[in-house]
Amino acid sequence: MKLTWKWLLEHLETEVEIDQVVEILPKLGLEVASVIDIAKDLREFVSVEVLEVNKHPNADKLNVCMVFDGNKHFKVVCGAHNVKVGMIGVFAYVGTFIPGLNITLKSSNIRGEQSDGMLCSEKELTISDKHEGIIELPKSTKIGSSVVDVLELNDPIIEIEITPNRGDCLGVRGIARDLAASGIGTLKELKIKEIEGNFESVINWKIDLNKDEIFLCPKIFGRSFTNLTNEASPSWMQKRLLAVDQRPISSLVDITNYIMIDLGRPLHAYDIKKIEGKNLTVKKSKKGDKFNALNGKIYDLDNEMLVISDSHGIDDLAGIMGGERTSINENTTEIFLEAAIFSPSSIAQTGRALNINSDARYRFERGLDYDSPELVMHYAALMIQKICGGKVSKIVSLQNKNKNKNKKIIFNPEIILKLSGVIIENKKSLKILEKLGFNVFVDNNNWNIIVPSWRSDIDGVADIVEEIIRVNGYSSIPTIMLSRKNYIAKPAMNSKHRQSFFATRILATRGYNEVITFSFLNKVMAHQFNGGQNSLSLVNPISSELTDMRPSILPNLIQAAQKNINKGIDDISLCETGPVFKGDSPNEQLNTISGIRIGNKYIRDWKKTSEKFDFYDIKSDVLETLYSIGAPSNSLKIYTDSPNYFHPGRSATFKIGINIIANFGEIHPEIIEFYGLKSSVFGFEIFPDNIPIPKNNKTARPMLKIASLQPITREFAFIVDSLLESEKVIQAAKSADKKLITDIIIYDIYEGTNIPEGKKSIAIKVTIQPILESLTDKDLEQISSNIIEVINTKLSGTLREV
Amino acid sequence: MTNQIKEKLIKLSEEIADLISCSSDLINLDEIRVLSLGKKGSVTAYLKNLKDYDEDTKKQIGSLVNQVKSNINNLIDTKKISFRKDLLNNRINSEKIDITLSSKERELGTLHPLSRTIEELSAIFADMGFSIVEGPDIETDYYNFTALNIPKEHPARQEHDTFYLEPDKDGNRKVLRTHTSPVQIRTMEKLNLKEFDEIRYIIPGRTYRSDHDATHSPMFHQCEGLVLGKNINMGHLKGCLIEFCRSYFNVENLPVRFRPSYFPFTEPSAEVDIGCKKEKDGSLSIGEGEDWLEILGAGMIHPKVLEGVGIDPNIYQGFAFGMGLERLTMLKYGIPDLRPFYDSDLRWLKHYGFLPIDNPSLHSGLNGVFS
Repeated sequence: MKLTWKWLLEHLETEVEIDQVVEILPKLGLEVASVIDIAKDLREFVSVEVLEVNKHPNADKLNVCMVFDGNKHFKVVCGAHNVKVGMIGVFAYVGTFIPGLNITLKSSNIRGEQSDGMLCSEKELTISDKHEGIIELPKSTKIGSSVVDVLELNDPIIEIEITPNRGDCLGVRGIARDLAASGIGTLKELKIKEIEGNFESVINWKIDLNKDEIFLCPKIFGRSFTNLTNEASPSWMQKRLLAVDQRPISSLVDITNYIMIDLGRPLHAYDIKKIEGKNLTVKKSKKGDKFNALNGKIYDLDNEMLVISDSHGIDDLAGIMGGERTSINENTTEIFLEAAIFSPSSIAQTGRALNINSDARYRFERGLDYDSPELVMHYAALMIQKICGGKVSKIVSLQNKNKNKNKKIIFNPEIILKLSGVIIENKKSLKILEKLGFNVFVDNNNWNIIVPSWRSDIDGVADIVEEIIRVNGYSSIPTIMLSRKNYIAKPAMNSKHRQSFFATRILATRGYNEVITFSFLNKVMAHQFNGGQNSLSLVNPISSELTDMRPSILPNLIQAAQKNINKGIDDISLCETGPVFKGDSPNEQLNTISGIRIGNKYIRDWKKTSEKFDFYDIKSDVLETLYSIGAPSNSLKIYTDSPNYFHPGRSATFKIGINIIANFGEIHPEIIEFYGLKSSVFGFEIFPDNIPIPKNNKTARPMLKIASLQPITREFAFIVDSLLESEKVIQAAKSADKKLITDIIIYDIYEGTNIPEGKKSIAIKVTIQPILESLTDKDLEQISSNIIEVINTKLSGTLREV
Repeated sequence: MTNQIKEKLIKLSEEIADLISCSSDLINLDEIRVLSLGKKGSVTAYLKNLKDYDEDTKKQIGSLVNQVKSNINNLIDTKKISFRKDLLNNRINSEKIDITLSSKERELGTLHPLSRTIEELSAIFADMGFSIVEGPDIETDYYNFTALNIPKEHPARQEHDTFYLEPDKDGNRKVLRTHTSPVQIRTMEKLNLKEFDEIRYIIPGRTYRSDHDATHSPMFHQCEGLVLGKNINMGHLKGCLIEFCRSYFNVENLPVRFRPSYFPFTEPSAEVDIGCKKEKDGSLSIGEGEDWLEILGAGMIHPKVLEGVGIDPNIYQGFAFGMGLERLTMLKYGIPDLRPFYDSDLRWLKHYGFLPIDNPSLHSGLNGVFS
């Protein structure tokens, strides 16, 4: 909402300056977006008379002029075609800042002629875009006057952001009322005279709505005007309209726009001569109806849209836009003026469906002053008669009398302190309400409050409290710390949050860089990772790259890696913790910890050779992460049935029972090729929600038992089937003595020379921990032969001869 | 006789001492030890001959021999220590490496600035007794709008450029939540009124609006706050948010201004500004100067919202607040542009990211000093 300072002063009697008003507005909830004061930069420009104009001796298109400011003469070189002797122009002295050129004027020599100043165009003064020719002021202008006074530029423009609840502040008067309530002045009485009209209106209203639909148009007023002249509106009006971004058109159009900005009350004028029949009917459109709008577009209407029609057909979209057929132009001499109340939600629905944004729609949607139709009939008549002459008819109206009642709220003033913490005298609260237009009938602690007709946003005690403390000032709300009495120090995070928090940290210490990527991706990627179902597709995506909710974080990470590779970065480890979507209900959104690695684990240098990331690096990452977020390692079982976006031979899945805890391994080469990547990508996804939270919440650990005896190690190499999973060797060996064998590691795997075809050698180192007493050679011999025997019987493995 | 043997022994002992002091290395020293004190050594020989003497002489000579042996052992040990020391010194002197070389094994990764901000917020609000709750990103119209007192066709809905999902067979379409506020409703719905005295929650999370330009991203993050009890008023809202702003920006007396505003789900509503200085180059100094910068919205929970979740607004009241996390992060850590937050550019991540060992907390600090 834009308004000018002088316009505001038409409604507000005040002693304060604009700066103070601009400071108070946001404290009332009226946020100031900008204050534009073009006069600020133009104070040094003065009117001068051009005394001489001579051709520049060295340039065809330039003139050398002599100008006089009433005090001194100045010689200036001027290129404007309209410069002539005797004209009054706008002059800038040397040293003046020219806002339109963004320079400070210097004395200069132009092709051999001295120039000490400048005759200016409107563009150079930033008062318009006009730059053909210099400004010519009226002959009567006193020379040496400030251009700010001559052109009446001393009217700063204030732009205010109005929140959706304050429809009443979409007019200058509403803003003036709030300011008056704040105590900086008084609201002037509206200049209004009841004009009864001396003939019956040529046009009458009809409402063609069912009884239960009357709420769509509870009130509609109109009156006819004849014998009008519709020339350009007065310059003061044009100037104000231009300042608030309304293009002046003709007196009648300008008056309706002026009143809309002035009172926040949109109006519509029909050309009576173009209306067919004697009636205008408010009704609902039907699918297939067409509407030829003022903006030159033809709209296909749907059912249920509120329209106004004459006997020819629809020519007004109620509260949104008038029709082309009955519109007024410079030849119009008779108008029918409409002021109505329409249902805000109906207007919003129609406006949105047809995608029409208009100043009228904006105001109707936010709720109009319910009493404004009557009032504006008189207000407009006065202005139209003054500017366009002519005669005014009596008012014709239809209204639902039952609805015409102001809202009532019963209010106990104690609620102010209870809700806001502000201590305020009842007298002061009452005064604030009164200044805002509320009528309050005090009955001890029961205030019967009548809400003014323009405040459709107020409907409960909380709203009343806000009105009082807002005008009283939020700075008087006390600062109270939340009490700590019911709290002992406790974590904000629960164990699920902690899992994500720890996992990201563990991964980052292992070299992963945490990223955050969009929750949506393109359809092809969604399908590749088993998503893309209809229920997870966006109806209105922002681009074809962001159409589907992601079924996995991996595609986002691969895409992120690709972007880095394109920038010349080859060794990449990225991780993300966030949601993936299996369906559209809350329990189908899974929190996932995901990561990928590409390229070198180590870069070759003087000390070591380079080493690429492989399956086993990812497996360690997964295991370390699972360990750090409390997955019970004993219950983890590894399987080969990982999802199809992994390489089938180089990927795996960890499960606890039937629940998938993690998928990991090499990403399927087909997908890698799709992304145009050259090297293998290793990735994982962990589903922490499937990890059981331990029920035991004791913080004390079980007692530590430290073996006092030295552990002993023994090494073995077995020849086994080359397809045998190595883990089985460890499990079997361990079963030889579950008590004493504490650790087994595989330290070598060998296939080739000296090993039979189809076989491999697995070398293990077994750690044996004596518990109560030292083991004798014989004991150790026994354990060793048990290991050899169990490998033999369970896995048909034989001890490798050395 | 005894004297003669004594003299011989003393002489022998002196000769051996000379040999020890002139010995060349540990091997030579060991040879000397064997030659003198070994089974067939020159000193040992005296003990072998003792059987020819009487008891008294035996005692005298035996004692003397032992004394000599002990002396020689001491001399050898001392010499050994000196040899070892020389050896170690020689080794150390020969062992010199190029300390300017390095070999990097693996770099630490980084945490995203946004998750850092969420952790900082969690630390600050945890201190005020808040816990974290979360909710789904895909919402129903009811939770995202209606329950928050934003009925269909409400002008406030147009300010939320909502993403819609394909409608189901009944024509109902879900939305991507446009704010974290629906989690307020989900949280309050679950409250057992008999049990709760007061609740304090923060709700960080992803939010979505179909807007994409230099200052808007179709996905962004918000943190919602919710406090509900029997005696919570707007003064508490003010106290809580002033403490938050000052802790987060680490400015002791940061000016914080509350301005009336409008949100359909709070009444009265406020916007919160912090004091700052807007520099000519567009940068900001927080806590200095005369300008104001809006950083969050708040208000007392609207009575209609409470009624909608079955809570009597005449008994319970509370406040809610919401803030944009990208903006808070950019302001605190001087990140000029929003778009790279989701671009996963490693150069950006390493520059603006945080080390995993830097865990923001009230005791270790919230400002990532070493990063």
